[in-house]
Amino acid sequence: MSEQISRDNLRTLVAGWLAAGKKVVGPVQVKPGMALFAPLRSADALLLDRWVRPSNSIKEVVFPRHEALYGYRIGKNSVELFDAAVFEEQIVIGAHPCDAASLPILDKLFNWDFQDEIYNQRRAGVTVISVACTESDDECFCTSVGLSPSAERGSDAMLLPRADGGFDVRLLSDKARGLFAEAKLAAGSDGQAAYAGPASKFDPAQVGAFAKDHFEDPFWAEHALACVGCGACAYTCPVCHCFDIVDEGNGREGVRARNWDACQYGMFTLHASGHNPRNNQAARQRQRIYHKFYMYPEKFGEILCTGCGNCARNCPEGLGVLPVVTEVSHG
Amino acid sequence: MSETNGFEPKIVAYVCNWCTYLGADLAGTSRLEYPSNVRIIRLPCTGRIDANLVVKAFEIGADAVLVSGCHPGDCHYNAGNYHARRRWILFRELMETIGFDMRRLHFSWISAAEGKKFQQVITEITEKTIALGPYNPYGAEPRVEPLSPMPQAAAGACDPAAELELRTAAKRVLESGQANVVIGYGARGPVFITRPDDVDRLVWNANCHQNLATYLKRKEIRALGKAAIVMKGCDERALIILERESQIARPDLHVIGMACNGMGQPKCAACDTRETRFADEKISSAQPPADMPDRYVAVDQILAMEPADRMAFFTAEFDRCLKCYACRQVCPMCYCERCIADKNRPQAIDTSPHRQGNFAWHIARAMHLAGRCVGCDECTRACPAGIDLRLLNLTLARTAEQQFAYRAGMDPALDPLIGTFSLQDKEEFIR
Ligand code: SF4
Ligand code: SF4
Ligand code: SF4
Ligand code: SF4
Repeated sequence: MSEQISRDNLRTLVAGWLAAGKKVVGPVQVKPGMALFAPLRSADALLLDRWVRPSNSIKEVVFPRHEALYGYRIGKNSVELFDAAVFEEQIVIGAHPCDAASLPILDKLFNWDFQDEIYNQRRAGVTVISVACTESDDECFCTSVGLSPSAERGSDAMLLPRADGGFDVRLLSDKARGLFAEAKLAAGSDGQAAYAGPASKFDPAQVGAFAKDHFEDPFWAEHALACVGCGACAYTCPVCHCFDIVDEGNGREGVRARNWDACQYGMFTLHASGHNPRNNQAARQRQRIYHKFYMYPEKFGEILCTGCGNCARNCPEGLGVLPVVTEVSHG
Repeated sequence: MSETNGFEPKIVAYVCNWCTYLGADLAGTSRLEYPSNVRIIRLPCTGRIDANLVVKAFEIGADAVLVSGCHPGDCHYNAGNYHARRRWILFRELMETIGFDMRRLHFSWISAAEGKKFQQVITEITEKTIALGPYNPYGAEPRVEPLSPMPQAAAGACDPAAELELRTAAKRVLESGQANVVIGYGARGPVFITRPDDVDRLVWNANCHQNLATYLKRKEIRALGKAAIVMKGCDERALIILERESQIARPDLHVIGMACNGMGQPKCAACDTRETRFADEKISSAQPPADMPDRYVAVDQILAMEPADRMAFFTAEFDRCLKCYACRQVCPMCYCERCIADKNRPQAIDTSPHRQGNFAWHIARAMHLAGRCVGCDECTRACPAGIDLRLLNLTLARTAEQQFAYRAGMDPALDPLIGTFSLQDKEEFIR
């Protein structure tokens, strides 16, 4: 036995949140062939009827592409500093398990030697309602990184699609129970056997082990030739988290802002002296794999990848993590 | 003075040092009164007034912008104003497509002797701007409904014999030492074949989208030595520009031209370069489709909207921009060592992916490719935010074709569109 909600009742629930002025983020169709996680303008815009893998990730709810950290305003005889107000209640609906799992992974980074208040404030306002996957595509590999199409990590609620179009509902946190308090739930039998997901494609531990003693290896140069350093992989990855700090303003007012940045850019490691420790694309590709499968695990005890496949789907040149690491682990 | 209703517009005038600035000076010394709303910024020459300065003025709150310099024939540097005029023609079309309010953008020729004209122009612009009211191009409500789908061509059949022929050709050039690397397509994407035994990794199918010319600018690929490259007819146009701009030594490059029946991309619908024209060897053959749509239908669709709707449409598009610069990285024509977007002294384009920074980037990118973009659509294909950069590229390509009979990368004998000018360039928009 479990609790269920019909698709119509779920939409009504979402419409109720929107009517109450809550910010709800979910997959929406941007143009033919492209879905993105974005704030919903209406409950009807939410893509619920079929499996879609949005081209972006949900990290933007806790780590926006651009955010003011603080600002200044210069008056006649004063300088006023102000904190950026960031707390906001945000509901994410329609995340996949590979999206939801990104948040606890990011929590570790933003609370390591320095507790990032701005990140933490945003994080506290987020409720993630995931939908279990019923399909996957060639680039998906959640099952290779310890997740699965119905893994609950990072989710406040999990909706499991039923054959009748509705969902079995698993409420996993008080936040989610609060949001579903008004929902029309029905008791019923479990909908269907969970989808097992893609077959495992590689072993991340093997990738880490290879990385450990192959820093100088022709492998990297060979596998990075096609990379044009566009950063689409990192910007659409749910757990890539590098940023740049910029000051923007004029003599009267301005902000210090944090903007996304990525290891695939030549400018990322360029020193003021002109020296660039990662002065070719092979070094940058190697960095991305190292960070995810060797450095992050060394420091935080888990890999920096949820198997979503976005890096490969978005790479204009057919790269991404999967094709490279499968080469590593298949030797 | 006219009735202002309390609204004092800010008008930025970018003027050249030798004519309009002296004209303004003369107006002053002759005690000719003109409204104090204008902020004059003096630059050496209109040829040095970058389109992004105009955008910058709007960013920081200008309600109208004037760009003014020496009359044709009077340029202190000989031809700076002619070069400027050609760029303004392109810039105006771009701004028109995006939906900027063109009544806010003014151009004039004012000589050192024309203090009176300076007074008149400034007075008129001020009055007109007061009547229009304050301007904030960055305040549009994004329009989210997608456009009707663009014409799409089905992918054509690929000649299976062509793939074999390609592999044979690759093997031959590698074995003979004619090239050290063959840049071609593999199962997942571009491959770089250096050993004759590996030529079977080369494929030729309907997924050969990439314009491989972009790799010729990458130092990692240049380091591999002399290259042979697989080119479609559309891609080859990039080679023509790159050679014209001294980026490649064409004789050192071996081009294997593949006839193409379409890769199922929007650009393929109106493609008239199904075969390469200047390849060193050509494989297979292909015919242009019998009924080719107009190349610029997508621009017509946009222009059919009201300017405010166009602005709302592009606001929604640009709002999605992440400033990842994937569009730039894949572009075969974007080869600058340091892109203007990565320069911060001065910072012409805000680095942040907020609305103003994104508008500035998209306008700069399009303008820097005016007359150079070969329409390969790699930028649009690569954009992870699904932004239709093509619409901006096509706008400028159409202007180049209609006004200057120029199509980038079609005729190797033609001088570059930007960097040359004609005394006949249209100037009905200049006062
Ligand atoms: S590295 Fe690639 S597959 Fe892994 S989480 Fe990031 S985008 Fe997804
Ligand atoms: S791997 Fe692909 S997506 Fe990532 S930077 Fe390189 S070309 Fe871009
Ligand atoms: S701007 Fe876009 S369409 Fe034009 S040459 Fe560059 S990548 Fe190709
Ligand atoms: S590729 Fe797209 S998202 Fe990235 S900078 Fe270009 S337009 Fe913006």
